[in-house]
Amino acid sequence: MIRVEGLTKVFRRPRTFSGPFGALRTLVTRQYEERTAVDDLSFEIGEGEVIGYLGPNGAGKSTTIKILTGILTPTSGTVEVNGLVPWSDRSANARNVGVVFGQRSQLWWDLPLIESLRLVGSLYDVPAARFETSLRKLRDLLGLDDFLDTPVRQLSLGQRMRGDLAAAVLYEPPLLYLDEPTVGLDVLAKEAVREFIVETNRAGRTTVILTTHDLADVEALCKRIILIDRGKVIFDGAIDALVDKPRRLVVTLESQPEDVRGVRRDADGRYVFDIHGDLPGMIASIAAEHPIRDLSIEEPDLESVIKGIYTR
Amino acid sequence: MTRIGFRLALAYRGDIIMTCVSLVAQVFLLRMIWTSVYGSRPAAAGLTLDALLAYLTLANLQSFATQTLVSRTIHHRIRTGTVFFDLARPVGYLRQMAAFQVGNTLGGLLLLAPVVPVVLLVGSITVPVNGPGYVITLVLGYVIAVQLALLISLIGFWLMETGAIHLLYRLVSQFFAGTMVPLAFFPGFLGALAEILPFQYTGYVPAAVYVGHISDVSGPVTVELAWIAGLWCLLALTWSRACRRVVIQGG
Amino acid sequence: MAEILRSLRLYFLLQRASARGAMQYRLNTVIGVISGAIWQGTGFAFVWVVMHTFPSLAGWGLAEIAFLYGLRLTAHALAMIPLMSVNDVQWIVRNGEFDRFLLRPLNPLVQLMGNRMGIAQFGDLLAGVALLAVAGRNAQVQWDVWLVAFCAAAIVGGALIEAAFFLALCSLSLRMVDTFALRVFIDDVFSKFGSYPMKIFGGTVEWLLTFVLPVAFVAYVPSSVVLGKLDSPWAPAAPLLGVALISLAYLVWRRQLAHYQSVGH
Ligand SMILES: Nc1ncnc2c1ncn2[C@@H]1O[C@H](COP(=O)(O)OP(=O)(O)O)[C@@H](O)[C@H]1O
Ligand SMILES: [Mg+2]
Repeated sequence: MIRVEGLTKVFRRPRTFSGPFGALRTLVTRQYEERTAVDDLSFEIGEGEVIGYLGPNGAGKSTTIKILTGILTPTSGTVEVNGLVPWSDRSANARNVGVVFGQRSQLWWDLPLIESLRLVGSLYDVPAARFETSLRKLRDLLGLDDFLDTPVRQLSLGQRMRGDLAAAVLYEPPLLYLDEPTVGLDVLAKEAVREFIVETNRAGRTTVILTTHDLADVEALCKRIILIDRGKVIFDGAIDALVDKPRRLVVTLESQPEDVRGVRRDADGRYVFDIHGDLPGMIASIAAEHPIRDLSIEEPDLESVIKGIYTR
Repeated sequence: MTRIGFRLALAYRGDIIMTCVSLVAQVFLLRMIWTSVYGSRPAAAGLTLDALLAYLTLANLQSFATQTLVSRTIHHRIRTGTVFFDLARPVGYLRQMAAFQVGNTLGGLLLLAPVVPVVLLVGSITVPVNGPGYVITLVLGYVIAVQLALLISLIGFWLMETGAIHLLYRLVSQFFAGTMVPLAFFPGFLGALAEILPFQYTGYVPAAVYVGHISDVSGPVTVELAWIAGLWCLLALTWSRACRRVVIQGG
Repeated sequence: MAEILRSLRLYFLLQRASARGAMQYRLNTVIGVISGAIWQGTGFAFVWVVMHTFPSLAGWGLAEIAFLYGLRLTAHALAMIPLMSVNDVQWIVRNGEFDRFLLRPLNPLVQLMGNRMGIAQFGDLLAGVALLAVAGRNAQVQWDVWLVAFCAAAIVGGALIEAAFFLALCSLSLRMVDTFALRVFIDDVFSKFGSYPMKIFGGTVEWLLTFVLPVAFVAYVPSSVVLGKLDSPWAPAAPLLGVALISLAYLVWRRQLAHYQSVGH
């Protein structure tokens, strides 16, 4: 579905001069400032996957998505999306993809939502009958009915986001790019967005690429994540593999033996076990030997794992 | 406020330099047109070509120098609500705005200074026939221009969208100030209208005094003073109404 | 061809949508059109006042100048009505709105043009057509089908010349080069110098206005042909210059678009 190889984007912008003849000076002097946003990136994404595309601010996530959608032309590298090169077959590629940038709406500010959706339908040549069925489905799925006739600028952030999602899948693209779709939303709205993604992916086998800073989104939606930092891939694989670390069991016992099953008592009088396999079995066997006063289990969570990777 | 206006003029120097270029172009255009229509005629409507060109050059310089930004500023401040800060200051609102405009004009003059020689060269100019008279009529004319601009901008307290009105005002005032054609050439009713309107004092009258087309300044000065007094009353009246309106709306 | 028709249909659809959005500012729209017409009216009032005293400007009578003036004004209006929102390109790029034009299966320029219509320019159009109609009747012209057709072609050609310069300068703003002041200046030159017989400027300036910034070809050359003042075999081809220039300008646009960098937020 998506094949990216050696993708590099260097932003090269002319130093701009201000002032009345700044334009001329800018044209004449040709001095540049350079910044590498994406650096030799390679990955492949198959049909129907939901990918969490993660990284700290400024890692190059949005830049990647802008290249994949054809907004930007890369400095070097090859990209193929559904057999098309996004920036040279921009129009054809556009019909294959739906895009939502959470920071910025794609809708017409002054128009009621329904008219924005109709315009999108026309721009993508959606036949009237298909538009109506599509719209009916989305109205149910996203609960659009309450604000279909409200001008977009009067919508709440959550409503606007739902409108944007509707506009992005109205023409049933096989690919969906979501750049921080849950940013700034409340818990309920986030939940609605997640449900929408699950449903869209399930019903149409739509491939979804999701960037977000909310790891709960990722845990709820993605099997695979791609982690990037400073433009480079630093992890690409199943979440399970990333978080495949021992769970940690901490117990305090009624008695205070020197060691229990090879684990020594620590300064606080606790025993700490790192357990890969059968946790209940372990607890049962400890309890059989020593009465347990208290115990706690620490799950390795995505957030701490990722934080660990970034700070490494 | 004077200082803010002054600094604002310098901040927008890009615009002002563009204005200067356009001023030079305008003076050049007028010179070419008038030279062409005069042909070999020595004089028309009592003006020789040289006097006419000097007049036009001056009138354009003046009208660019006395351009008023204040109405646009007030309009902006009313729309964004910053006007309430102005109202909260202990100095009268109109006085603040007038001070702002004076500062702005001074800044504009400073930037205009380098192009003046160019304009004078392109437009060709003679020595003043009546220097003091010129300065007096021009200063009084400037006061009238500022008063009118303030008056126009007060409309903003009643109407929210006044962009088009400002544009219209600028057009009409420039035309009737006689920056492109001396009022002496205005035919029939246009001439009569121009005589009645106060715009001539910002352009035509001082420039005509300069080139000696008007020799006795006592008449124009009296009328100017009368205008200033009249506009002052009108401003005070309008302002008190506007004030009441602001209070009633309560922000 | 089918793509052109589709673009045209979608352009009007977008335009209608933006007009509906702008309906809330209806009063301002009306004032905009009227003041557009009055602005041009005072511009012509100058010519009228001058020619009241002097019957001829470089051998052109009032009706002839009015014809020239009207031709230029109409061409200007036709150029700016569809291109008005291209004027905003700098802000549209800066606030990231331009990205969405690239996400949709329609030429980004068409989408940009469909963003907003030049309303005040309808005032110019009104004034221009009125001048043309009155002047065309009063000037000594033997109208026939060919001459009318030439006139129409000349107006379109003139509009294309202005549009070409405008579009090329706006294209540079795709890469954040600020050309606003330059655009104002060029527009000023077109409107100030384009409405008079070039002869009055003489020598260098006439040459500059003909061959460097081809202001002369917008209205002066075509109206000289119509009014029988110019008898060069090349002159009737003047409208073609507009086609050539707009093609060049579109190439510039395409080139700048290929280098579009988006914004970093
Ligand atoms: N249009 C642009 N021009 C210049 N630099 C940019 C542009 N877009 C992004 N950048 C820079 O590239 C880097 C990556 O940005 P981005 O892809 O937006 O990061 P992310 O979306 O992961 O937060 C940042 O350092 C950013 O400043
Ligand atoms: Mg981002």
